[in-house]
Amino acid sequence: MTISSEAFSEVRDGGEAMAPTPAVKLGGFVRFLRAQGLNVGLRESEDALRALALTGFEDREVVRAALRALLASSRREQQVFERCFELYFVSREAFEANQAALAQAQQELEARRRELEERLSIAGRPIELREDLKDVYARMPQSERDHLRDVVDKYSDKMKHAPKLYEGFIRSVFMRSLMEQQMLLEDAAEGAMQADGDADMMFRDIGSFREADIPKARQLIDQVTRRINGEIVARRKSAGRSAALDFRRTIRAGLSTGGALCRLRHKRRHSRKKRVVMLCDVSGSMLQFSEFAIRFVKSLSEVSEHSEIYLFSEQVQRVNPFALQNMDLFNGYVRSSGVWGRGTNVGRALEAVLAASPAVLTPGTVLLILSDAKSVDLDRAEASLMRAVKRAGSVVWMNPIPEAKWPYLKGVTRLKAHCSMVPCGTLDELARACARLV
Amino acid sequence: MHMREALEALKQKLNAEDYIADDALVTTLYIAAKLNRPLLIEGAAGVGKTEVAKAAARGLGRELVRLQCYEGLDESKALYEWNYQKQLLAIQMGNRSGQSVNGLFGEEYLLERPLLKSIRSEEPVVLLVDEIDKADAEFEAFLLELLSEMQVTIPEYGTVRARSLPFIVLTSNHTRPLSEALRRRCAYLYLEYPDVAREVQILTKKLPGLDEALAEQVARAVAWLRASEKVTKKPSVAESLDWAEALMALGAKELDEESAPATLGFALKNNDDIREIMADDDFIRSLL
Repeated sequence: MTISSEAFSEVRDGGEAMAPTPAVKLGGFVRFLRAQGLNVGLRESEDALRALALTGFEDREVVRAALRALLASSRREQQVFERCFELYFVSREAFEANQAALAQAQQELEARRRELEERLSIAGRPIELREDLKDVYARMPQSERDHLRDVVDKYSDKMKHAPKLYEGFIRSVFMRSLMEQQMLLEDAAEGAMQADGDADMMFRDIGSFREADIPKARQLIDQVTRRINGEIVARRKSAGRSAALDFRRTIRAGLSTGGALCRLRHKRRHSRKKRVVMLCDVSGSMLQFSEFAIRFVKSLSEVSEHSEIYLFSEQVQRVNPFALQNMDLFNGYVRSSGVWGRGTNVGRALEAVLAASPAVLTPGTVLLILSDAKSVDLDRAEASLMRAVKRAGSVVWMNPIPEAKWPYLKGVTRLKAHCSMVPCGTLDELARACARLV
Repeated sequence: MHMREALEALKQKLNAEDYIADDALVTTLYIAAKLNRPLLIEGAAGVGKTEVAKAAARGLGRELVRLQCYEGLDESKALYEWNYQKQLLAIQMGNRSGQSVNGLFGEEYLLERPLLKSIRSEEPVVLLVDEIDKADAEFEAFLLELLSEMQVTIPEYGTVRARSLPFIVLTSNHTRPLSEALRRRCAYLYLEYPDVAREVQILTKKLPGLDEALAEQVARAVAWLRASEKVTKKPSVAESLDWAEALMALGAKELDEESAPATLGFALKNNDDIREIMADDDFIRSLL
């Protein structure tokens, strides 16, 4: 996240105009934090003022630690706080030096934008660009800008031969370079935002994971599943009794105390591991999500004692369990299976599972469908889902699409009426959904 | 007392309780205690979150009341329960003597659980709500009354106001996001793993016979393991202590290509991690 210099100078100037009492200084700082997206309420401001009364302004690090504890309530907020604090609580000299550097940088950007408008033209007309792309040009490295100028100079002479052709060519070179640069800038900003690796990754949309994120995500899944397994075991041990009273055992135990029911006996929970049948959509973009979900379910040894896996897109294929023992080979296995990368036909896949002999779906099984529900032939999908719901003990649909978008998707609205559909767009949601299978 | 001196005094107190704290932690702890604001501590498992509360209790000379959270934790485990057996006996005795029994839901039959105990205590205590992220969201909401009003309500008994204000420390491993409402009511501290210098201090403080050079080697190796992408379960401070203690028991003078593999199981508690690290030449090179 970058902190806008305009917001800073506005707040700072506002603060400077008034008497610089601790309350005024703090008020300015709180407004600055709010301008950067921190949710600082009146109660926090009051506490911060009381803290400043204790600490004074003598020791910068003490002030920093005190205000950070009271005004930033998560690690991400603390990172924003640190940048704001560095900008706000500076000596007058450092503040003026910063302002001068900012003003100079602003002037340089303006000069580059003017250069774009004045010097770079096609057939005598300035190149027309959106305002945001002009900014991208101004922030490009010198070598990239020189390259673009060379392209314009080189082909300007040839314009007279085929004006439309060369105009289109120059424009396409320009746009491609600018787009690439914009992506680099966005990546850099995203990188800065994601400094808090693990925590962010758990709550990020799985679809936004890049190739480099995958190994880290797999590690996280291992960590989380270990924790969930442990929690389930602990819970089973600690929840030895349920709320329901077991009258027969209570009365029998009461006989030893002359009929007084001194010791209440509660019914024990039966914890039987479930048999899970997974139906995994591996059509194009769903592959990554399916891999993560299978990893979760397979690693949760405390959830299921046995699982069967079917991969589907337009075709359906039962997976040899030995082939998926090593999940690192999952991607390769799916890609070579011939199922990967096509459209989605949920109806056909469900029919194949229903037709399996011996029967795969029984009252003791949980059918887990991993798909975004963007299927062809929805009538067929709906009919076969209704049959599966009758046959299986329960049907859980894990959908990677955020719940807010569900009302706009026809497939989702029709299919979720028949089963329990849970949003699983992030690793955190996926972990919770898997833990709930118990 | 001047602020600097007060902070230094608190630091010394924590130090005397074998907790090596950095300046930011001391300041946060001091401010939270002074403003009587609950302190929410987040950080990876094993960085010493729980230890902060324990050391604070010892340093402040207060009793530590601990509530360990888990999924399914409810009021009867956290706040109070009625002593059913005692109530039953009272009814039976009343029946035999022909007297009616009054006050079955009185103080006499109330079993205090940690939250109630902490606010009914005459002397202020340190209340540690450990791993709040493991409790359900409903329990978190229930806790808000205590955090903001310092009181709890028992339907059969009435509202119990705090006799003394406990210093509340909540810890979380960030396995699920906590509600904004809870966060807003707390001062916040994120604990990182200690750096090498502080880890050396911790090792030498907790293991008096440990050679400083060996402590530094262990601290450096542990820092390397924590930074390694290959290690899934990062070694905690307790594990670096175990490792150093194992090396001491072996009589090892330094951590080298012989002693490190033989004792690595004290730092890493996962077979895949050990295998990966043993196969990594960079690890042994990092020791030399």
